Amino acid sequence: MRLAPRLLLIAAIGAVLGVAAELLWPGRGAATLVALGAAVVAGELLVLRPPVRAALPCSYAVFLVLVRAGSAWEFAAVVLVAEAAALVAREPEPLRQNLRRSFVSVLAAFAAWGVYSGAHAAFGTSTTTAILSALAAAAVAEIAVDDVMNYLSTRQLPDLVAGRSADLALIASGVLMSFGYAGTDAHSGIGLWGPALLSIPLLAAWYSFVRLESIRHTYEQTIAALAIVPELAEVSEPGHASRVADLSVRVGAELGLSPQDLDFLRAAASLHHLGHLCLDDETTLGRPIEPDEVAERGAEMLRQTEYLAPAGEFLAADSQLVGGQILRLTSAYDDITRGNPALARTAIERLALVPGQFDDPRVLLTLERVVVGVGAR
Amino acid sequence: MIALGLAYAGTIVALAIPEAAPPLVPVVVLGLLFALAENLSTALPSSAGQSASFMLVMAAMVVFADSHSYLGPVLVASFGGLFFIPHYRDRAWLKIVFNTAMFGFMALAATAVFYPVVDALGTSWPALFVAAVPAALLDQVVNIALLACVLHLVGVAHPREMFVGLGKASLQVYPFALLGVLLGQLYVDFGPVTLPFFVVPIFVARQTFASYLALKESHDATLRILIGALEAKDPYTAGHAERVARYADYIGIELGISASRLERLRLAALMHDVGKLVVPNHLLNKPGKLTAQEFTAVKRHEYASVEILTRIDFLAPVAPSATTEATRFKPVSDDHGQPIEPHIVAVADAFDAMTSTRSYRRALSQEIAFEELRRNAGKQFHPRVVDALIAALRRRGEVHGRGYETEVIHENAPEAGTGSAGLGDLVPDSFGGMALP
Repeated sequence: MRLAPRLLLIAAIGAVLGVAAELLWPGRGAATLVALGAAVVAGELLVLRPPVRAALPCSYAVFLVLVRAGSAWEFAAVVLVAEAAALVAREPEPLRQNLRRSFVSVLAAFAAWGVYSGAHAAFGTSTTTAILSALAAAAVAEIAVDDVMNYLSTRQLPDLVAGRSADLALIASGVLMSFGYAGTDAHSGIGLWGPALLSIPLLAAWYSFVRLESIRHTYEQTIAALAIVPELAEVSEPGHASRVADLSVRVGAELGLSPQDLDFLRAAASLHHLGHLCLDDETTLGRPIEPDEVAERGAEMLRQTEYLAPAGEFLAADSQLVGGQILRLTSAYDDITRGNPALARTAIERLALVPGQFDDPRVLLTLERVVVGVGAR
Repeated sequence: MIALGLAYAGTIVALAIPEAAPPLVPVVVLGLLFALAENLSTALPSSAGQSASFMLVMAAMVVFADSHSYLGPVLVASFGGLFFIPHYRDRAWLKIVFNTAMFGFMALAATAVFYPVVDALGTSWPALFVAAVPAALLDQVVNIALLACVLHLVGVAHPREMFVGLGKASLQVYPFALLGVLLGQLYVDFGPVTLPFFVVPIFVARQTFASYLALKESHDATLRILIGALEAKDPYTAGHAERVARYADYIGIELGISASRLERLRLAALMHDVGKLVVPNHLLNKPGKLTAQEFTAVKRHEYASVEILTRIDFLAPVAPSATTEATRFKPVSDDHGQPIEPHIVAVADAFDAMTSTRSYRRALSQEIAFEELRRNAGKQFHPRVVDALIAALRRRGEVHGRGYETEVIHENAPEAGTGSAGLGDLVPDSFGGMALP
């Protein structure tokens, strides 16, 4: 099911359960808790996916409202029930991954509860600053839990600064939604209207991230689609471009290229034969086409786009950039092996004999490590 | 513009005399936010930038509603014109004066209607939300009126045309007006400390959306480079893809298809011949008729186009646009559930092929091309699509074909004939009467 109908279904179920809860336990805020539970489920579906950082569900913002809405037991019950429901409501994905996502959310929710309760006991709820600080600390605790869990599953240390815009949007909105809900001792909030209305900026951020992710995805596919054009035209071997792209990215990652440079390297490698199609064919030219001509023509094409211009620099025939050297080397490597791993050692030995072509010796050593295995030599 | 600046200065003085000076902190805080929003908005389409700025004027009105200060919102809005950095860099002093005055007057107009409504209805949430409606409308009216005056004086646009979009612009602004009410009320209740929490997510959303727009632009540029490469290979079809995309867009609008499908249609039309990249140059540029074997080789481009387009999820549903088989109209089959895009691309492609001069034949006149399309409507072409193209071109008063060509004209092209260059012509016997009657 698409996202919008699923959200509508969650809202409808939430409304029915809310009415039922109000009838069963009138005047005890049960309907509010059900509404917030439904909001948690919806928040699990509305996931911020920034390009650099791992995905963040909007439910983190709802937890901050929930910490001020009921007792410890009520909080725990709503979080656990809502996360169980989220297991069903999420897009079909491997069960393990789905369980892990819910588990991380539950941990983040309890961290928020713990930190907020501690701060509450220490500073009270009388001043605006005290509440805002307590909520902000609770939000930071959620992000910290999320980071730790991501580290445990990927073993990649999170960047503390880069790509944190989604975290900021989530923290700020969550704090404000919670504030709108309950206000301070002096000024009461406006109940559920507060989080409902004050979530608009967060939803706008979510929508922007969705659009950004979708165009990034389309762009990647466009590059992959263009990569097969030289193969269809029979000017390069089937599978060559995608093998060179994969291998360059692996070598580039080993050599510590930034994620953005790796994206450009993948694009340059995928498109490194595209220039061939814009040259006159050999029948017309009356001579074979040189690889440098192809690279230069391709680089020229990429330089004309704002985004792919750095990829054009990697593709240029005389590129001295590490990315450029990786690309030339992996392409030469694949010309020898044609995807056959049994030829890896022969290829490396032959490439090592070409004098001066690959200026940075680390590039060849790294390729060797990647294709033949660590400590092979 | 100087007159406007003087009028603005006069208004400020006139407002300042009867009023006590508004509190400095909200004016400066909201004013600086307004200036920040304006300075960041250059990356966004103008409507989105304006809406975010109006949110801050709205907040200022709520903040100053108790004291009935007109000067407060006006000063807040003036910050946006006064501190717009790019104008200082370009030394565009008149623009600074104009924008400062314009933002000021927009805020004054909105305030002049907001306060009386709030007086009548009170300061409850619903009352504030209701009062925001006329305020947003008046803000837009003054905005468009002042811009229309200037553009009319410069002779760029007719004032009446500018008011056409007024209703839509006000609707776009209204959600931001609601947020402005919330922001203002938060400020009144809890002080400026809550503002950063409100502004940060909006800021993130805007920056992310700006990245999205930039990446989309770049994606289009990448496709365009490819089309450029295609046309460099085959100079006889210069501008063909862009024109087919334009005609497809016209037809799509005429048939009332949705904006997102229109975007996809435009790209599919632009890319419909992308497979030609795999055809060797000497075949593409061969003058005269192709042999059966060469024809098969050239025909391979359709397979390549489909192969390329299906790999892009976004374009996959319209990939059949690249084949003659899928675009041929079948009178027996019902078109329920069948995408109409391939038919649109087929008609746009054939129309451009007929109305362009190629090396082997001169362009037909638009009327003859229309006749050909109509004659084959229901046989080769989808009749609704043919009607839509004719209606769209008539409505726009556009004439293409012989005597109206803007692109390359081959002086010594023969009167009639068929050949390889325009793949729109490649359908064997598609136009039985291709030669001029």
